[in-house]
Amino acid sequence: MAEHHPVSDSKHKSSLNSGASYSGNGRSSTAVAERGSNAGAGGGGLSGGLSQPAGWQSLLSFTILFLAWLAGFSSRLFAVIRFESIIHEFDPWFNYRSTHHLTTNGFYEFLNWFDERAWYPLGRIVGGTVYPGLMVTAGLIHYVLNLLHITVHIRDVCVFLAPVFSGLTSISTFLLTKELWNQGAGLLAACFIAIVPGYISRSVAGSFDNEGIAIFALQFTYYLWVKSVKTGSVFWTIGCCLSYFYMVSAWGGYVFIINLIPLHVFVLLLMQRFSRRVYIAYSTFYIIGLVLSMQIPFVGFQPIRTSEHMAAAGVFVLLQVYAFLQYLKDRLTRQEFQTLFFLGVSVAAGVVFLSVIYLTYTGCYAKIHIPIIASVSEHQPTTWVSFFFDLHILVCTFPAGLWFCIKNINDERVFVALYAISAVYFAGVMVRLMLTLTPVVCMLSAVAFSSVFEHYLGDDMKRQSPPAEDSSDEDDRKNAGNLYDKAGKVRKHVSEQEKAEEGLGPNIKSIVTMLMLMLLMMFAVHCTWVTSNAYSSPSVVLASYNHDGSRNILDDFREAYYWLRQNTDEHARVMSWWDYGYQIAGMANRTTLVDNNTWNNSHIALVGKAMSSNETAAYEIMRSLDVDYVLIIFGGVIGYSGDDINKFLWMVRIAEGEHPRDIRESDYFTPQGEFRVDKAGSPTLLNCLMYKMSYYRFGEMQLDFRTPPGFDRTRNAEIGNKDIKLKHLEEAFTSEHWLVRIYKVKKLENRDRVEHKLRSTDATKQKYTTKKVSWDFKHWTV
Amino acid sequence: LNVVVVIVFLLGSDSLPTLGASEVSADGLVNEEVKRTVDLSTHLAKITAEIVLSNQGHSAVQSFMLAVEADLAPHLAYIGASVKGDEEEDGTLELQQTTIPGQSGQFYKVQLPSTLAAGAQLKAKVEMTFSHVLKPFPTQITQAERQLVVFQGNHYLYSPYPTRSQTTRVRLASKTVESYTKLGNPSKNDEIVEYGPFRDVAPFSEDTMKIHYENNTPFLTISSITRTIEVSHWGNIAVEETIDLRHTGAVLKGPFSRYDYQRQSDSGISSVKSFKTILPASAQDVYYRDEIGNISTSHLQVLDDSVEVEVRPRFPLFGGWKTHYMIGYNLPSYEYLYTLGDQYALKMRLVDHVYDDQVIDSLTVKIILPEGARNIHVDTPYRIDRMPNQLHYTYLDTFGRPVLVATKNNLVEHHIQDVVVHYNFNKILMLQEPLLVVGAFYILFFTVIIYVRLDFAITKDPAAEVRMKVASITEQVLTLVNKRLGLYRHMDEVVNRYKQSRDTGALNSGRKTLEADHRTLTNEISSLQARLKAEGSDLADKVGEVQKLDGQVKELVCRSCQEAERLVAGKVKKEAYIESEKTLTSKRQELVSRIDSLLDAL
Repeated sequence: MAEHHPVSDSKHKSSLNSGASYSGNGRSSTAVAERGSNAGAGGGGLSGGLSQPAGWQSLLSFTILFLAWLAGFSSRLFAVIRFESIIHEFDPWFNYRSTHHLTTNGFYEFLNWFDERAWYPLGRIVGGTVYPGLMVTAGLIHYVLNLLHITVHIRDVCVFLAPVFSGLTSISTFLLTKELWNQGAGLLAACFIAIVPGYISRSVAGSFDNEGIAIFALQFTYYLWVKSVKTGSVFWTIGCCLSYFYMVSAWGGYVFIINLIPLHVFVLLLMQRFSRRVYIAYSTFYIIGLVLSMQIPFVGFQPIRTSEHMAAAGVFVLLQVYAFLQYLKDRLTRQEFQTLFFLGVSVAAGVVFLSVIYLTYTGCYAKIHIPIIASVSEHQPTTWVSFFFDLHILVCTFPAGLWFCIKNINDERVFVALYAISAVYFAGVMVRLMLTLTPVVCMLSAVAFSSVFEHYLGDDMKRQSPPAEDSSDEDDRKNAGNLYDKAGKVRKHVSEQEKAEEGLGPNIKSIVTMLMLMLLMMFAVHCTWVTSNAYSSPSVVLASYNHDGSRNILDDFREAYYWLRQNTDEHARVMSWWDYGYQIAGMANRTTLVDNNTWNNSHIALVGKAMSSNETAAYEIMRSLDVDYVLIIFGGVIGYSGDDINKFLWMVRIAEGEHPRDIRESDYFTPQGEFRVDKAGSPTLLNCLMYKMSYYRFGEMQLDFRTPPGFDRTRNAEIGNKDIKLKHLEEAFTSEHWLVRIYKVKKLENRDRVEHKLRSTDATKQKYTTKKVSWDFKHWTV
Repeated sequence: LNVVVVIVFLLGSDSLPTLGASEVSADGLVNEEVKRTVDLSTHLAKITAEIVLSNQGHSAVQSFMLAVEADLAPHLAYIGASVKGDEEEDGTLELQQTTIPGQSGQFYKVQLPSTLAAGAQLKAKVEMTFSHVLKPFPTQITQAERQLVVFQGNHYLYSPYPTRSQTTRVRLASKTVESYTKLGNPSKNDEIVEYGPFRDVAPFSEDTMKIHYENNTPFLTISSITRTIEVSHWGNIAVEETIDLRHTGAVLKGPFSRYDYQRQSDSGISSVKSFKTILPASAQDVYYRDEIGNISTSHLQVLDDSVEVEVRPRFPLFGGWKTHYMIGYNLPSYEYLYTLGDQYALKMRLVDHVYDDQVIDSLTVKIILPEGARNIHVDTPYRIDRMPNQLHYTYLDTFGRPVLVATKNNLVEHHIQDVVVHYNFNKILMLQEPLLVVGAFYILFFTVIIYVRLDFAITKDPAAEVRMKVASITEQVLTLVNKRLGLYRHMDEVVNRYKQSRDTGALNSGRKTLEADHRTLTNEISSLQARLKAEGSDLADKVGEVQKLDGQVKELVCRSCQEAERLVAGKVKKEAYIESEKTLTSKRQELVSRIDSLLDAL
């Protein structure tokens, strides 16, 4: 065993060399990145020269990384430049609000924060139900800046956090790819990840969400893991654990790490690649990582309780057993028995492992069938289009990179292969998980591109360099660190002269190079276009363009939220569909019933039930929930398609899930099974609260001369119920473009209004009543 | 002069011995003729009175008294008096608050520019502005209703002096008047109600004038405003106003219908959709925002003498609704900051225009001076409450900037006046901030240099060092082998040239140099090989192999050289030469590729 380490080390070195010699086939790995700037500075980071080229090389990679950071940062600023420095969408508003709480009240106050403004009347213990990494990161940056008297508002810190972290992501991607392949591929990967839309979609300025920092933590953890597997040093493993801890504190996606790393170890075992390095790395990682991850209040004891984490524990045990067997193998002579025993153990462990994975993901699958999860758009399965849309050319080239990796397999390339395969699977399941696929696609595509460029650009260099080499020694002297590559060139020159002289080679090579460059250029154009058009809308502010190109800003959301903030009671309770919960809490600072942290399905179902019942039934529910205001989104005036009527069927479905006796989805369809808001629509729909609130007084409104009054532009239909009277609600506020409508729930009348005529003591009336009674009596006796 | 002027505040007026009104008028002043105008066309009550004052006493007087009714006095925002000379030159007079025992109300003693001799007359103009005196009635209205307000005032001029003759003219906001008091059969003409003339009114006479009329002008009130002025000696003055705005008219009752508001022009007629704020002409980088971001519904118009911002709150302000926003801009400091040596003077408006006929309930002004400002002295245009100075830290500050804080309640447009802040500042301190930045960068670079240059490893890794040494030696070997291969190619050329020129001398010299260079290179490689061996690397064997192969290559080169010589000498036929040359070349090719593969393995 004592001998084992150096042996494995040299094996490891040779595996490195195989990679290096591969790159030696043509031009240096960094060819693409440094084309035209310094022909000499190649050689990959492995030669480790301290001479001048190494300096050039580090300067160059530093510059490229810096530029990648800059490009990544600035391409995320579309929303800020077009609109303003504002928090986007829904979840970021909650994160912003809690960060604000953190900075104003301090860390411990944040951990103990009971938010009575959410989930009325339940409230929410925020400190214990949130991944605090994002808030702590932003709060820390804000604290440090303010310590230095750089008076930046916490909002700006939050807005620009994700773009800044995208630069860190590209650096960690560079490091990881460098470990896997070589420096050139690393630089390419850093450039890819800086601008790839799949990652930008979650990290534009203003998108203050967990994913923005989690991808950095993910990549950095993987880098440190690969590093620790390569070196077998506890130092790197501890670094990996700390990074893992950060990841756990930042995003629920840490489960991906705690399953992928054991999977890597397991596959290494299967491939007979067990070594002391793997043993040290994984044992340390598992124990320290486990202890650290349990420090996050929200995670708590989950790592030793839930099935998602069991694979890691299983592999840990397996590794110990395997190492013990290895130890025994040295002592015992019965080889056959040993092998059999090992086989038995590994098969058993494999079965356990696979069944755990199976259980885990069937669990996930079951979750998808709960309507509330299915109702979220980002939980939908990914379409092919969105693969191409988010990754463009990379999605085509990354299998090539994967193939290169598998062809020249070593310990860490096993890891990246597993990473790629599992990420592809998850990305196929859910749109949201496209995010975990993106980094590995960037890395593998970078490997593919880098290999191609090495191959083809190397010949470009050859055509120019031989005369230089023949004639000038000073050129060689200048690039003394680089002769490794030049040797390869000389060989080609001499031994492949005939081939080259045929004349076709260089042409084809230059054509291929040009094509590759074209692809890369188109990739950059596509990335910018997608970022600018698809991912840079704050969705809190809408913009529309006139015929002459001038822009109208539709600021209805903030108008209504600000109205709530300023002109309602501080403790008013606002009922709305859960999508708007975080925004109401963040912008209007009012108590909400349900919000985007959809942890309580029955509460949401109750709100859904109120929205889909008729007004009287809804009033009962709203009274029981102490609702003061009801807020809905209505897009019929401007043709905004994401409004509540379009989401309405989900409300019905979720309500039906909990209250199947009161709400039935089929009631809201026409007999033909259509969902229509016009006259042909089902009467249940035309009289439910949501319909009434959306279309209250809309029937009088004529938007233009070609359409009848009450024409809904979103659904292109004239509404069916134009004469809407509200009894228990009154319109409190409607925004300028009717996008947000707020209704006030009236208090109970001081005295119940009686439906029949009041009994009167007037004499004449008395007579009348007696008459009536007598008539009744008569009627009854007949 | 026996006017009893008690310089007040410390003593309650009740405890003072009562002095009769007759004694007050004992200085013999009489309001000869009074023209009062009560302007109620906005949400303010602006009362101006033109008074012809005559001294019917026996001695000259230095001052006269102004009085404000007790009901109105708490709402008095501004009072000013001026003397109307013949030459139309308005001399603003100095006022001093006093009390008159036994009489309710507020009193001001006006210092005359020159003494008024007995029997002389004087034309004075008194301006008073009251805020929050127009009470909406009914206090709640629906969106469709119009806003009605009630004003309660005095038919007469409230004065410590007897009045000979006076008229009161009331200007209203609209023709619609619900009711008005009918003292002396007033005449009403459109928006104007005229009372009087009243003759011989006794001092301190009060008679309630009550007017109930329609007033849809914006009843906006700034419930609080914080104005922050940050002076930088780098050429910029940043101004930021944080404003709480409230519609103090009749409160909206019932629903707000956007449909009615959009379709009917008179729906919500008393609501406020937008107003104009006038900023200084040199204002730049204007922003208008609130806690949740930029308010996108505003417009900016740059005029010759001002910058106009059309401030449109996010939502129309109905009665009882409020909003909150910030507006800020930058000004070049040369327009407002004056300097003489180390002495500086900042002359800025204490409060600026927000909207026409503005009412500010509570004002806080913060003036942030540069770090290191000393001997601060403030000249205010009117009395204002100073708070203790604060410290403010911002970019690159070390010991904080002094902040002057002052507050005042109940302000109107008349209070838009300049404040002057004098202070001393040592110009050397300007260098502090750049030096701080330079120092920070210096430390940063220095740390990087130290980190890169020094070895902080706590353990030595001999294996890695050996590996690095070997790598560098290998590199050198590669260089040399390449050079050697280059020599052969060079030799080929020499031979080719020889074949054409048949110059034996050139060939021989070429061969000689080849031999010499080759020997030195081979020796160098051998020495490197020895060093590799010393490091214990197995690469030494490979280098040895390369050397061996190279020897063969060299032999081949020499042979081809000899062959060429023989060809030139005519000892071999051309075909045979080509044949042998071919075999030689292929052999060489083979050897070179073997060397290459060996080199690759290095």
